[in-house]
Amino acid sequence: VRCQHHPPLRALQASAALRRASDEHKKEPRTSSSQQHFDSPPAGHQPEQESQGPRPSYTGQGGQESEDYESEEQLQHRILTAALEFVPEHGWTAEAIAEGAKTLGLSVAAAGMFHSDGSELVLHFMSECNTKLSKLLEKEQKLVQLGKAEKKPIDEFLRHAVEARLRMLIPYIEKWPQALSVLLFPRNIPASLNLLTSMIDDIWHYAGDQSTDFNWYTRRAVLTGIYNTTELVMMQDSSPDFEDTWRFLENRVADAVTMSNTASQVQSTGEAVVQGLMGAAVTVSN
Amino acid sequence: ALLSRPAGRLRACRGLAAGPEMHFGFQTVTEEERREKIYQVFESVAKKYDVMNDSMTLGIHRVWKDTLMHKMNPSPGTLLLDVAGGTGDIAFRFINYVRSVRERQLQRKLKHHQNLSWQEIFESYQKDKFNSLGDSQVVVCDINREMLKVGKQKAQHLGYSEGLSWVLGNAEELPFDNDKFDVYTIAFGIRNVTRIDLALQEAYRVLKPGGRFLCLEFSHVSNPLLSRLYDLYSFQVIPVLGEVIAGDWKSYQYLVESIRRFPPQEELKAMIEDVGFFKVDYENLNFGIVAIHSGFKL
Repeated sequence: VRCQHHPPLRALQASAALRRASDEHKKEPRTSSSQQHFDSPPAGHQPEQESQGPRPSYTGQGGQESEDYESEEQLQHRILTAALEFVPEHGWTAEAIAEGAKTLGLSVAAAGMFHSDGSELVLHFMSECNTKLSKLLEKEQKLVQLGKAEKKPIDEFLRHAVEARLRMLIPYIEKWPQALSVLLFPRNIPASLNLLTSMIDDIWHYAGDQSTDFNWYTRRAVLTGIYNTTELVMMQDSSPDFEDTWRFLENRVADAVTMSNTASQVQSTGEAVVQGLMGAAVTVSN
Repeated sequence: ALLSRPAGRLRACRGLAAGPEMHFGFQTVTEEERREKIYQVFESVAKKYDVMNDSMTLGIHRVWKDTLMHKMNPSPGTLLLDVAGGTGDIAFRFINYVRSVRERQLQRKLKHHQNLSWQEIFESYQKDKFNSLGDSQVVVCDINREMLKVGKQKAQHLGYSEGLSWVLGNAEELPFDNDKFDVYTIAFGIRNVTRIDLALQEAYRVLKPGGRFLCLEFSHVSNPLLSRLYDLYSFQVIPVLGEVIAGDWKSYQYLVESIRRFPPQEELKAMIEDVGFFKVDYENLNFGIVAIHSGFKL
């Protein structure tokens, strides 16, 4: 684990050392102010501001600036988001991350904070897409609750949700096969599986699934299957606006619904047959 | 109590300038004496430096330096400052690495533009041909003139010319402006710096925001069995090799002792963090015989 959680005392030492360095080398204090807010102090403890003034903001003085960020993680998120722009050209690689860092005014060496295989970039993108999907579904649910929109039947809802999520891949579709292979690295499998299942969960949640029995698992398994297969079809779909993919999706969802109808039919038929047999047995025994 | 600490440190800082006791290997000397002695050590070993490295570490130092370069993973356009870079090992590796990355980049670009006409492809190739390093540059800085001389000769001999600069300078007070470099490396050099904290501060100063600090240095072996074998090898074999190959027992005695005196991994990590680097981490190579410390200026 790389993150250090030292008490704010460390922030003071760092800024003290920097102030000493700035005295010795006549350095501008702008970098020292950036240290002040790195270690977010525990509640109730104020690190001494020592005339650092208000929180430093992102100034663009000739390409050199102080960072306005709460933590390393937030900065890393910013870099990854900026890096997405360069994915179509460089792929899901450390180079894209380096370019992203450059746009934020950081050195290209900042890409060294991440793995050289671009894993974090792909995972970050997936997580952002899932968040976007959740927000979209939540918004639509609110509209339905307010009576401003019709509640969709289940198959249409699933189709709509999966299509919306897959459409987010369109800007990166050329390099998406690379992303899929990155997600399959053993090191990434726990994280990618996690993201996939939470997305499927979300969709079923907004579809109004309230099951607490075995259905919960079957529903997720079915939808995961639909999502994954549609994603693969999308990879090599060259039709205009991916209409082949959406048609494939429609068919798969219809299949699933038919299968569940058939399953319940089979179940009720089975029950009827059993009852008939029981009745016959009772009649015969009498 | 918190307020008194910075003042106390300043006092200590001024006190040191007067010449307190420092270590030179296992001897005790003043700061000035130490600097001079170390300068003499490297002056005398400069010509045989590479040969000695190979024989002492059985060639493994090449792997260590390759690992450092791999960890750095520089992209074309990177500006590297290699401090205590003396004979140029890191610098040459950097140039090779960046050159091959650049080649792959150009190849990929060509593949992308397969629909261009022959003429256009030829022209784009010409344009990029003069940029085989992709604007990457390495500045080799060393305090010792002899080491730099050997390095320059090596560069000429091996055919390295572009992207390389040789500067005489002291790691405790670098002759460079603030926020200039993408990566700062110091490979097997920080051990010889008299005021490590000053060197770290200088490293912080000359790095761009987002820049990376990398330190490759001998460190402490925690495994007791290995530690015994390592000590045996260091104190019995290395000075002998020094006498036989370089004709200089004392310098290699100093080398081995200075390794023992150098702070262990965690302590160095704390020193790096103190200066203001973030995401500071270290990677042990060969069970701690060597460690690579990395930090970012954020």
